[in-house]
Amino acid sequence: MTINSKRAVEITLANQLGYERVAMACSASFAQLFGFPKDRIEDLKTVVGEASVNAMQHGNKGREDAKVTVSLICNEDTVTVQVMDEGRGIEAFPPAPDIEKIIEDDKLITGFGLFLMKELADNVEFNKMTDQGHIVSMTINMKAQV
Amino acid sequence: MQNKNDIKLEKHGAVMLLDIEGDITAFSEPFLNEAYKNANDKGAGKILLKVGNDAYINSGGIAVLIQILAQTKRNNQNIGITGLSDHFQKIFNMVGITKFATIHSTVEDALEALSAG
Repeated sequence: MTINSKRAVEITLANQLGYERVAMACSASFAQLFGFPKDRIEDLKTVVGEASVNAMQHGNKGREDAKVTVSLICNEDTVTVQVMDEGRGIEAFPPAPDIEKIIEDDKLITGFGLFLMKELADNVEFNKMTDQGHIVSMTINMKAQV
Repeated sequence: MQNKNDIKLEKHGAVMLLDIEGDITAFSEPFLNEAYKNANDKGAGKILLKVGNDAYINSGGIAVLIQILAQTKRNNQNIGITGLSDHFQKIFNMVGITKFATIHSTVEDALEALSAG
């Protein structure tokens, strides 16, 4: 990804679970530069973490030679997060997890990461394909209350 | 980058406190399941999970916690959770964990409520 903004940062992560913490810490430091409220910074960290883990596990399918690129762009009161992996996007979106059904039926638990991304971000776009890879893009109004 | 959890068990009357040290992710599954099994072996009637206020909990960890909730429901055990930051209290409410577990601000409040319930 190429970012053309003075209020932007981009980092590349090894495709290894745990490295999402680096992107989360980076996003928190970035948002603190602009004085955004602490509760929204926590939301931003969760969105970045979940999107990065999805990229590692599902986009890159756990491949050790793959990478995940996370970019953050601040525009007035919003932060746009773009997470790029080397996959082909999401073919089938899981339904929103129904915890009552999961607990009653002892069902396989999936979809909480996507659910949290959608709940915490104001806009989420999946399946943006570029020459460099697949991008999930999320915009968060850092002044909104969730 | 697999995290591991040290989980200490403390019996407080009918309540078994599972004091979870470390982050809660998909890698926590064997540690939490073993601790829950040990709590049951010691005759726990009620369960209190204590997480670290600065613990990182991701969707994989939420799935592991929901597995524990499912087991407590099958075993007719009340379960409470304490130690959560405001952010994770909000997240747990969003995903519906609060329908099956009560959230308490302190261990003392949790023990009092669970013991009375």
